[in-house]
Amino acid sequence: MYARKGYELVKDFASGEKGQLQHFNEELFNQVVDQCTQHYTELEALIRKMQEESVDVRETRNADHYGALIHHLSLIRNKRCLMAYVYNRAEIIRNLAWNVGLELLELPEEIQEKFSDSEKTYFGKHSAALQSYMADLDIDLNVDMVPPKDPYIKVRVLHDMGEGILLSDKTANLARHSMHFLKRTDAEQYIARGLMEELTG
Amino acid sequence: MANYYDIDDILVEEEFVPLVFHKAVNGVKVDESIEKSYIAQGSKLELPFWLAHELHLRQAVSISAPACFNQKTRLEIQADAACVDLRSRCLYFYKFGCKLAPLCDKTIGFLLAYAFGLRYKEVLHKAHTVAFTAASKFLSRLTKEETNLYEAAQSSMMSFKKWRMGGPRLHRAAILGRKRKVDE
Repeated sequence: MYARKGYELVKDFASGEKGQLQHFNEELFNQVVDQCTQHYTELEALIRKMQEESVDVRETRNADHYGALIHHLSLIRNKRCLMAYVYNRAEIIRNLAWNVGLELLELPEEIQEKFSDSEKTYFGKHSAALQSYMADLDIDLNVDMVPPKDPYIKVRVLHDMGEGILLSDKTANLARHSMHFLKRTDAEQYIARGLMEELTG
Repeated sequence: MANYYDIDDILVEEEFVPLVFHKAVNGVKVDESIEKSYIAQGSKLELPFWLAHELHLRQAVSISAPACFNQKTRLEIQADAACVDLRSRCLYFYKFGCKLAPLCDKTIGFLLAYAFGLRYKEVLHKAHTVAFTAASKFLSRLTKEETNLYEAAQSSMMSFKKWRMGGPRLHRAAILGRKRKVDE
């Protein structure tokens, strides 16, 4: 079927939960590219046939013209599917940088595995650009937008994070289930990664 | 193209439409099972919308309304729009209808407006009242567009409740997926 592989790729993306990353489907992705090549060879063959019959390729509207047209449209369709797949993944990857952490190693391992190689580079470059922008402005842009009532919050540690973790005003021993009174800006990144939870009341 | 990268838009355009070829086409194999790669003039086929649309612009084909907009569905919608299982007919009933209406049958527009008007009320009502366990039966009838509305209604209600009751402001980033149970 025409440009069917591209559709399968997009369908694969859509089947995942909204806004969350899945494994980069290398196999299907390559199949779409292969199908593009196939459409291209058939398109070329039809054009060559028209040239051999010495008809005007630009003006004639014969059966070969419409055949070539369908192959051309299939190529464009597959291209759109490929672009949409990469573009929508890139959007999620940017969100990860904004919401979770700017270093690749800060992300949970199961998320890192889902990146393709070029996506890892993309993530690194996007983070670097963000960091240099924030350094120029001298302001941290990925903290909570609502001003806090109290600069300190109470948190509980959910995962063992090790001893002697350096925070902005002290070093803390963040053992699992321990409760701490931390600077909000320090705690935010750990909460976002699911390592701590905020306690209220 | 405004929504070139839109996943939903790509999926809508993959819906099949029946069409009649006015021109013969060479070098194209529509079905893998058929040996010959030739479409004769006047043959009737079903092709995805994106292809049908482009061919229609070049006057190579004429499109007729697909099964999900047939007389039977219309009658069912007139009887009680809220109870019709649109999801099994076409996952993107409204978007597909909007794209199709100018090409083959203008009356689809009225059908969509009528169906949506009645169903929207039902969706909104159910989103606020139906318990989560009872919702699955009802949700299986909704198209993708209606499901989005349903979820929007629920999330706005949840935000409202959270605003009224208060609670922790900071959360685990939603982008990481659902919270896994911390292994003991």
